[in-house]
Amino acid sequence: MEDRATITLTVNGLTQTRAVDARLLLSDFLRHDLGLTGTHVGCEHGVCGACTILLDGRSARSCLTLAIQADGATIETVEGLGRMGDLGRVQQAFRDHHGLQCGFCTPGFLMTITDMLRHHPLETDDQIREALSGNICRCTGYQHIVDAVRELARARGPLT
Amino acid sequence: MKPARFDYVRAESIAHAVEALAGAGGDGKVLAGGQSLMPMMNFRLVKPSVLVDINRIPDLDRITLEAGTLRLGALVRHRMTAEDVLVARHIPVLHAAMKHVAHLTVRNRGTFCGSVCHADPAAEMPMMTLLLDGTIHIASPRGTRTMPARDFLIGSLATALEPDEMVTAVDLAIPADGTGWAFEEFSRRHGDYALAAVAVLMERRDGRARNVRIAMMGIADTALRLSDVEAALEGREGTAEAFDEVVARLKASLAPNSDLNASADYRRHLAGALARRALADAWDRAREAHMEPA
Amino acid sequence: MTAFDASVEMRPKLVGQRIKRTEDPRLLTGSGRYVDDMNPQGVLHVALLRSDQPHARIRSIDVGEAFAVPGVVAIFDAGDIAGDFKPAIPTSRMKGYYATPFRPLAEGKVRYVGEPVVAVVAESRYAAEDALELISIDYEPLPVAVSKDEAAVDGAPLLHEEAGTNVIISRTFARGDVDAVIAAAPVVVKGRFRMTRKTPMPMETRSYLAEWDRRRQALTLHSSTNIPGIICDVLGTCLDLPGNRIRVVAPDVGGSFGGKGSLNHEEMLVCVLARKLERPVKFVADRMEDLTAMSQAFDETIEAELAVDADGHLLGLKADVIGDIGAYSIYPWTGALEPVQVVSFLPGPYRMEHYRGRVRGVLTPKPPTGPYRGVGRPSSTFAMERLMDMAARKLGMDPAEIRRRNLVTAEEFPYRTGSGIIWDRSAFQECLQGVCDLVDYPALVRQRDAARAEGRWVGIGFASYAELTGIGSRIAVAPGMPINTGTETASIRIDATGAVTAAFGISSHGQGLETTLAQVVADELGCRMEDIEIQHGDSALVPMGTGTYASRSAVLGGGAATKTARVVKTKVLKAAAFLMDVPAEDLEAEGGVIRARSSNATMTFREVAHAVYAQMGRIPHEQREDLVGSESYDPYLGTACASTHLAMVEIDPATFAVTVTRFAVAEDCGRIINPLIVDGQVHGAVAQGIGAALLEEVVHDDGGQLLTASLADYLVPIASTMPQIEILHVEAELPNNIGGFRGMGEGGTIGAPAAIANAVSDALAPLGIEVDTLPVAPDRLFRLVQAARASASG
Repeated sequence: MEDRATITLTVNGLTQTRAVDARLLLSDFLRHDLGLTGTHVGCEHGVCGACTILLDGRSARSCLTLAIQADGATIETVEGLGRMGDLGRVQQAFRDHHGLQCGFCTPGFLMTITDMLRHHPLETDDQIREALSGNICRCTGYQHIVDAVRELARARGPLT
Repeated sequence: MKPARFDYVRAESIAHAVEALAGAGGDGKVLAGGQSLMPMMNFRLVKPSVLVDINRIPDLDRITLEAGTLRLGALVRHRMTAEDVLVARHIPVLHAAMKHVAHLTVRNRGTFCGSVCHADPAAEMPMMTLLLDGTIHIASPRGTRTMPARDFLIGSLATALEPDEMVTAVDLAIPADGTGWAFEEFSRRHGDYALAAVAVLMERRDGRARNVRIAMMGIADTALRLSDVEAALEGREGTAEAFDEVVARLKASLAPNSDLNASADYRRHLAGALARRALADAWDRAREAHMEPA
Repeated sequence: MTAFDASVEMRPKLVGQRIKRTEDPRLLTGSGRYVDDMNPQGVLHVALLRSDQPHARIRSIDVGEAFAVPGVVAIFDAGDIAGDFKPAIPTSRMKGYYATPFRPLAEGKVRYVGEPVVAVVAESRYAAEDALELISIDYEPLPVAVSKDEAAVDGAPLLHEEAGTNVIISRTFARGDVDAVIAAAPVVVKGRFRMTRKTPMPMETRSYLAEWDRRRQALTLHSSTNIPGIICDVLGTCLDLPGNRIRVVAPDVGGSFGGKGSLNHEEMLVCVLARKLERPVKFVADRMEDLTAMSQAFDETIEAELAVDADGHLLGLKADVIGDIGAYSIYPWTGALEPVQVVSFLPGPYRMEHYRGRVRGVLTPKPPTGPYRGVGRPSSTFAMERLMDMAARKLGMDPAEIRRRNLVTAEEFPYRTGSGIIWDRSAFQECLQGVCDLVDYPALVRQRDAARAEGRWVGIGFASYAELTGIGSRIAVAPGMPINTGTETASIRIDATGAVTAAFGISSHGQGLETTLAQVVADELGCRMEDIEIQHGDSALVPMGTGTYASRSAVLGGGAATKTARVVKTKVLKAAAFLMDVPAEDLEAEGGVIRARSSNATMTFREVAHAVYAQMGRIPHEQREDLVGSESYDPYLGTACASTHLAMVEIDPATFAVTVTRFAVAEDCGRIINPLIVDGQVHGAVAQGIGAALLEEVVHDDGGQLLTASLADYLVPIASTMPQIEILHVEAELPNNIGGFRGMGEGGTIGAPAAIANAVSDALAPLGIEVDTLPVAPDRLFRLVQAARASASG
C-alpha cells in the first residue's frame, strides 16, 4: 500500500520509467512528466474525449486512468501516429478533409479513429457517427471528420 | 479537478483485494474500469483512503456458461459483453442493450460488475441484472456469499455491499428458449445516460403471455422490476388492448422525479411510450420463436 | 492603380482555392502549443476557492491548515493584493450606464456562484486543490433577485449598490409610428420569445500563464485569449506597466466562440501574482470552472409584435427586450453587447418602415454574459423569423413567399433599417431562392405533406438574416465602447533569405487565418506561400492590434495584408529593377520569381533580398530600402453578409425528440479566400446553432446555483446529433472593400436556431403550436403538446 511508486511503461515504442504519485492521472503524466503535450485535457470527467490515448491497443480516456495503472502497459499517443512532413494516414485524411480547426479535440479523435479502424465496422455514416459520438468537437460540426473517416474506412475495406 | 490523495493497492488476487478493503477503515474503493469512479474522484465527490485496483487479478475477465446462467466476471468490459457470442445467442436482450451503453472508448474500459456496483439509476447494467434475475457473487475476508440483484440494489448509487466486500461476478439467468424480448431506451444524445429505458421478457404459451418480466430505469432512484405490472399481463393474450391497459397501470404506478432533463410528467409519459413499444415487440418476438398455431 | 500592380482581382492564384491549412501539420502531430503545454522552470499553479453563494458579504476567511499542505506556496484573498492593481472599468458612452469595476478576486462581497474569492498558489494543481478543501469562508447571505424580471423591479436587492439600480443599460431605437401602424394593421402577430442562457464551451478551457522578468521588470502573459491586444492594453493600465513592458501572447488557442474574448478575473490574477511572487504563475480552468464562470450568452426575453398587410408586406415591429447580463458588465464589451445587438438587428433583412425596440440590461447574480458567436443576432433572428412564420400562417401564405416579398432587393441597397443599421449590397433575395433550389423546396413540401398525412410530425423551417461583418471605425463593435475595433495593421518584412514574415494584430484560434492570410499575401506579393510565415496572437507584433472577433479578421486582416503587400512589392520590384537594369514597370512577380516581360530575365525574391541586405554597395545607398512595410486598413463601414437557412425536422411522438433530417445553407460571404475553410466555419457554426436549438442550456436554480456544471448536464452536439449540412455559396456583387471579402465566421449560429424553431413549429402546426423558447428539449416540447391538446379538448 503506497501513495507513490515507480512505474515502467512503453510510450510510442519507448520504455519510460518514472516515480509517480498514485493519484497522478495518466493525462497529466503524459503531458507534464513525459512532455507529450499532444494529449489534451478537455473535461477530466470522461465526456469530451480530448485525452483519448491507446492503452494496450484500445482507446481509453487518459483522464480516467491513473498513471500507476499503466505500469507495464503499452501506450500510444498522437505523437506516435506520424510527424510533420510524414503524417500518418489518419492525420493525412484529417488534413485532406479539413477535419480540424482549433486542433484541441483532434488528438483524441485521431486516437479514437485509430481504434475504430482497427476494430469496428464502419460501413455506413450512421456507424461512423455513432462511433465518433464519444468525442466532442466544437469547431467542425463533425462533417469533415466524418468525410475523413469514411475515406479511411473505404480504403481499409470491411473488417474480417 | 484532481483526485485527493489515496493509498493504492494493486490487488494480486481476490483475497488480496478484500484484505486491502478491510484494512481501509470503511472508505476503501475498488477500481475496475474506473469510468464512473474516476470522474467522481476527479470531482472529489469520492475520496477513498485506499484504492484497490483489481485490474490485474487473473481470470476475472471471463464470460462463462454455467447451468442455466451466464456468469460475467468482475473484469468483463462492456465491449466484451457487447461482442460476446454467448451473450448474443443466449441473452439477446442484453446484446441489444449494449448498443446503448456509453461510447466506444468507455466500453473498452467500463465493466459490467462495476456498473452494477455503481448502481446509477440511469445505467443499463443494474436494470438488466434485475430483469435477468441476477445473482451477485460477493467476496470478503469473511468468505463469499451471493445475493439476488433485487436485494443488492437499494438506492441511487447505493448497494448492499459492505465496506470490506467486492463483487467478483454476476450471474444472469438465461431466458427459456423462444422467450420474446425487447429493449427500448431514450436519451438526449446517443450514449448519454437514459431519461428512461425498459426491458421486457415474455414467453408465449397457448397464445398467452407467461413469465412476463419488465424492468425499467430512469424513473426512480434505482432500476426497478415492475412485479405488479408483470402480474397484470401474466396469462393474458398479447392484444393492443391488453398492452394499453398494462401501460396505463404502469404509468399510474410510477412516481418519477423531476430533474434537469425531464419533468415527472414527461418521464411518466416516456416510460409508458417506451413500455408500450417494448411489450408489443417482445410479444411479436415470442410468437416468432414459438411458432405456435395462430 | 499602376500598371504593374497585379491585384487579386486581376490575377487570382491562391485566393479562392481549397488550400490545405498550414496550421494542420503541427496540430495533427501533437506539436501545437497551447498555454497549458508550457511549463517554465519554477512555474506555480493556482486553484481558486469560488463563491458558493449567489450574493453574500464575505465576513471572514479561515485558511485553517491550508498552508501546511505540502507544496503550497501562498494563499491570497482580495485584501492581500489590494494595492497591486487598479480594477478594470468597462466604460461606455451610453447614457445612464454604470460600469461595474472588475477585479481578480471578490472584494467585500460575492455576486455569483463561481466568483473567485481565494487563490491558492502551489507547486502543483493537485496540492493547490488539497489546500482549497481546508479553507472556509464565512458568508453573510444577502437577498437575491435571481431572475432578470425580479432584478429589474424597483426595490430589488442591488448587486452593485453604487449603481443605484440593477438596470444599468436602457436604450430605445425607433423610427416612424409603430403603435399607429399596429393599431390599424389587418394582421398582427406577437409572441414572447426566449433563448435561454448558453455557454460557449470551447474545447480548451481558459488557460493563463504569467511570467515576470525581473531583469526588465516586464510581464509576459500567455493567454488562451482571442483579444491579446485588448487584454494587453487593459492590463497595462491595471498594473501600471507601459506597453513595452507588458506583452500578451496567445499561442495555439483551442477555440473561443467568444468565451475567450473578454477580460477574465483569472487573467488579471496570474499577472498580479507573478509580479508579486516573481515566479511564473499558471491558472488552467477545469471544465467545471469554465461551465460555472466563463462568460455566457443570450438570456433575453423578447416581447415582440409584428404588423403585416393583407399581402404579407411588413408594416411595423415593436419589441421590448430584457437581457440578463449577469453580475458584471464585461470588459471591454460591456453588458450592452448582447441585448442591445438584439434590438439593433431585430428588424432583420427586411424592408419595414416602422420600428420601436426598447432594451434593458439587468444585473443578476450569474456569470456575466459576453460575446458569443452571433452576438444578439441568434436571439433577434429567432424572434423575427418566428414572427414571419406566424404571420405567414395567419395569412395562409408560404413561408418562402412572405420572405421573398419583404427581403430588401438589390435596387434598394443601401437600405437603412428602422434601428439605423445600413444594409449594403448582399445577396438577400438570392440566398432565399438559392436554398429553395438547392433542396428542391416544392418537392420537400410534398414530402412533408405526405408524412403529415400519415400522422407524422414533419416540418420545414426557414431563417433569413443579415449581419454586419468586418466593421470599420464608423461603428463601435459594442455600443458606446471607446476601444478602436475598426482598424487592423499588417507588418510585412522580407529578410536576407527571401523569407516573408507577415505580422498582424489579429489572433486566430481555429479559423485558419495563418492559411487564408498567407494566400492573400502570396497572391499580392507574388511570392511562394511556403515562404510566408503569418504571425498573430501577440500584442508585441504591431503597434496596435485588438484580436479576432466579430467576423473581422478576413476583411480587416485581408485588407491590411493586401495594402501592406503592395507596398513591399513595390520596394522589391524597385530593387529588382535596379539589379536587372529594366524599368520596374517591366517586371512581374509570381511564385517567388521576378521576371522581366521584355527579356524573360529572372531573379528570385531570395536573390533580390540578399542583394538588398547582404551585399554592401550592390544597390547605391541612396536607392536602397529595406523590404518592409506596415499599413493599416479601416473599412470604415461594415459589410453586410446575408444568408438563408432551411431545416427539415421530424419529431418522435413517443419521446418528443427532434431529429434534423435536412439542413441547408445558402450564404453570401463575398469573395471566398478558401472554400474548404468557409465550409468548415459554416458546419461548425450550424452545429452550435443546432445545439442552441435542441440541447444547450445553462440552468441556474431559484437560489442562483448552477445545475449544469458538467458535460453530462450541459449537452453539446455530438457526431450523431448532426445532419449532413448542404451549402450553397452565393457570390453577389462584391462589397466595397479591399479584396471583396465578407466576414462569415458567425452566421451558422444565427440562422440555425430560428430555422429549427420554425421547422418544429411547422411540424406541430396541426396542433397550433408556436415554439417560443429554445432549446426545444423533449420535456419542453412534451409540455407544449400537452397544453395544446388540453386547450383543444377544453
